[in-house]
Amino acid sequence: MKCFTELLNESSAAHGHMCPGQVVGVRMALLGCRLIGLDEPTRRDQIKKLIVYVEMDRCTADAVAHVTGVKLGRRSLKFMDYGIMAATFVNLETGKVFRVLSTEDARSLASVYAPDVEGKSAQQLAAYKRMPDSVLFRVQKVRVRLDECDLPGPTRRKVVCCRCGQIIRDRREVVEDGRILCKPCTEDCYFSHPHEISWPHMNWTPQSEVGAFEECNHQQAFKLLHLH
Amino acid sequence: MLKKINVNDAVGTKLAHDITEIRPGEFKGPAFRKGHTVCNEDICHLQKLGKNHLYLIDLEEDEVHENQAASILARGLAGEGIEWKDNPREGKIGLHAALDGLLTVDTAALAAFNMVEEVMCATLHRHSLVKKGELVAATRAIPLVMKRAPIERAAAIAGQHGGAVSVKTLRKAKAGLVITGGEVYHGLIEDKFAPVLSAKLIGLGSDVAGVVFAPDDEEMIARAIRSHLNNGCDLLLLSGGMSVDPDDVTRTAIRKAGADEVYYGAAALPGAMFLTAYIGEVPLLGVPACGLHHRITVLDLVLPRILSGEKIGKKELAFIGHGGLCKDCPGCGYPHCPFGKGM
Repeated sequence: MKCFTELLNESSAAHGHMCPGQVVGVRMALLGCRLIGLDEPTRRDQIKKLIVYVEMDRCTADAVAHVTGVKLGRRSLKFMDYGIMAATFVNLETGKVFRVLSTEDARSLASVYAPDVEGKSAQQLAAYKRMPDSVLFRVQKVRVRLDECDLPGPTRRKVVCCRCGQIIRDRREVVEDGRILCKPCTEDCYFSHPHEISWPHMNWTPQSEVGAFEECNHQQAFKLLHLH
Repeated sequence: MLKKINVNDAVGTKLAHDITEIRPGEFKGPAFRKGHTVCNEDICHLQKLGKNHLYLIDLEEDEVHENQAASILARGLAGEGIEWKDNPREGKIGLHAALDGLLTVDTAALAAFNMVEEVMCATLHRHSLVKKGELVAATRAIPLVMKRAPIERAAAIAGQHGGAVSVKTLRKAKAGLVITGGEVYHGLIEDKFAPVLSAKLIGLGSDVAGVVFAPDDEEMIARAIRSHLNNGCDLLLLSGGMSVDPDDVTRTAIRKAGADEVYYGAAALPGAMFLTAYIGEVPLLGVPACGLHHRITVLDLVLPRILSGEKIGKKELAFIGHGGLCKDCPGCGYPHCPFGKGM
């Protein structure tokens, strides 16, 4: 794996800024991977062995995902909305699973580890680089029950919502009184009052963009010809 | 796991921990030690100590007894120059100086250690001069039985840099003194500085190899510095000329003599105009006039640290500030006072 500084710089650039959460996230990922025995998680032979659960949607989550290479669309990144600064690292091959928690103590100790740095954020950033893992994290050995339908790979199952006809993949349906429903057709949904609409430029396709690009190139070539 | 039993039913069981007895002004210590088998005669004594119930311990695989925990913690905390006996009393282990020297405490690691729940370590102030055998720190796990993982995490935190508590021996320096000031050089007044500085150096086990007097002249002071270096001195103390008067040229002279690092000004009173500088590896300490008037100044805070091998630069001089104000008590009780203890 690349060195900490390189990973931190890359992760911060991908995330949009450098912050204490990035430092914690990069270190959390390094520790998590080390514990489950993956030294190059983004390499092709290791990437399919790894699943990471992040329990927060904060800067730290982006850093964990960046360093480990896990992605939502690959089903290797699982977001559990717990509001806890923690991530669980699963090695699918060996069955090793560790949950790494960022300690609240680390926040209290920032001024002790970086008394020479002014400003809350800068002080935390410097301190989180200096603290040993034992101060920054607690680790739990945990068990994770992974359903086949949670794993990377092709869709395992498709069913149809008996109310709206929507196809639901990988056992995300809800069964109420023996009837299969998609979540939007139940009470357990993040939106309400769906109402279908039409929208401007409804017939746009990527090809129209390609056409515009070719037109642009043609104009440039024309200019060059006339310059000579 | 702990099981509570009535003391009357305890005959034949082994005590799970030391039981402390306190007789005000007379005795404080274990009346019974861990592992003692309770007999009929003990029941009354235990009841007098307020013990109507006792614990029986049945440790789970991931649990440790407070005594075992104290050993794990002590092993993490103890750095170089520390000795301790794996014989906890009332769950506590004391860490003792294995030699005369300067107590060093990794205060960040100590703070992080103490943030782990259910463990504690208390130390003397770092930078205290301690004697062989002196108790410098003590640790304990607070509950009778606790999980092994937090104990091991606390021990790892403490052991990050080879132990949060250590005692460093002071090197025996070959010191050279440069006493500056035309008034002394020309014999207008008698020098009082050399005896004061020599006493402090000798008191810490160093030798004074020579004293050179110089007027307020950059070149002559620089020459005095170079002569000490040529004679093999590995520590230089310079007095006077540290202030802001036009005759105060010691700082310039130190640079002229080849100092590549000069840190002027310490956050201490007395001692604001103190200076540290380095020519190669050799430290030069510029002692302002307060060193003559006050029994204890910033020099007494810095000199033992220098002799322990610590490099004193801008940060170290600045961090003295908290606690760096001497109360100037009529009967000075240093080192048993707050001066220099806030670092």
